[in-house]
Amino acid sequence: MSEQGTGSTSEGCGGNAAPYVLGALTEEEHVEFVAHLQSCAICREEVSALEMVANALPAAAPQVLAPVELKDRVMATVRQEASLSAPAASPRRAQSRGGSFGWLQWRPALAGALVAAVVALAVVLAGSGGGSGAARARLVHAQVLAPTGTATIHLSEGHAQLDVADMPQTTPNRVYEVWLKRNGAPQPTDALFTVSSSGDATVGVPGSVNGVSEILVTSEPRGGSRVPTRSPVIVARLS
Amino acid sequence: MQLVYSSRADAFEVIYDRHADAAFSLAYRMCNQRALAEDVVQEAFLSVWRSRARYDRGRGSVRTWLLGIVHNRAIDALRRRSVRDRGIVNDEGIEERIPAPERTDVEFARREEARQVRDALEGLPGEQSRVIELAYFGGLTHVQIASMLDTPVGTIKGRMRLGLAKMRVTLGDPTEAVQP
Repeated sequence: MSEQGTGSTSEGCGGNAAPYVLGALTEEEHVEFVAHLQSCAICREEVSALEMVANALPAAAPQVLAPVELKDRVMATVRQEASLSAPAASPRRAQSRGGSFGWLQWRPALAGALVAAVVALAVVLAGSGGGSGAARARLVHAQVLAPTGTATIHLSEGHAQLDVADMPQTTPNRVYEVWLKRNGAPQPTDALFTVSSSGDATVGVPGSVNGVSEILVTSEPRGGSRVPTRSPVIVARLS
Repeated sequence: MQLVYSSRADAFEVIYDRHADAAFSLAYRMCNQRALAEDVVQEAFLSVWRSRARYDRGRGSVRTWLLGIVHNRAIDALRRRSVRDRGIVNDEGIEERIPAPERTDVEFARREEARQVRDALEGLPGEQSRVIELAYFGGLTHVQIASMLDTPVGTIKGRMRLGLAKMRVTLGDPTEAVQP
């Protein structure tokens, strides 16, 4: 069997299934192939078959221990964010425990409102800079104007990180650009990004967000723009 | 309910403990730099934590999901680095291999799976295993590999596909071997 005439069922489509599952397509090819997969059952089948092997390849890496301090860093962020998103768990806990808050189980609506108010107060206090370290962090759920997607801003110590999920892929000649709106005007940043095949990305927002009223994301030509050329697809209101 | 769907930090800690070494091993194999590998793994775990509600168990195990994210993040990190920097290896010489004595059933099965995958990869013709390693662990595109090896792009793609197809025959369905 020749190396090019492999009998691949996807040869007519360019034989991109193997480099795709290995992560070896260029950015542009990746976007095009993901779109192609939507309409090509042959390539989907081949990707599915080869992906099984690619998913096993991490086992071939020499196994080393993860540093202990790495766990400390990851879990510190997880605990901080878990405490900020606790309202869903709190009402159930209040109802099941009884005790000092036993009366809440008879007034679920009031209990929910009270818990929500307490959590909102905690978030406001955390965002006001009144605490120290992790207490100054807060989450902002952004409005996504794209057909799909979610976006969250993580604010801490005057800096922001944007996490997006399920966002549409940009076309090959475009990227997403992050803007900081101050005094009513969007200012460009160096934060240009594309999303993964599942629409995910984590982007550090450059510089301080002090005085920023909104963080915006637009689709721009590759290389970015100095002024927005399209309407925002993400709007996060910070104040 | 699976641990991954929980919004509790202690539930996520179990997931971290279960998969951190595998995640770091993959990241370190790809990045060859401890600090960069740590950043990649940290980003990957936080991505899993923040998007846990979207985990679809029908598309694979939590481990497969996590390692896929680690792989993508490591590729992004490698491609941001200049080609010149990429030659740097083992900057801090961590070779702290996981000690052998932990012989639980799951651990034993994982070691066996690792041995089979390594054997399958090493059992390929050299030109096929090389392009797979350069692509998967080196983070290189098929175009970069073609240029590096002075070989047509179509040949590189063919080697990748042939190698993966042979490994699939050797391994059966490797992803079914060990689930979390």
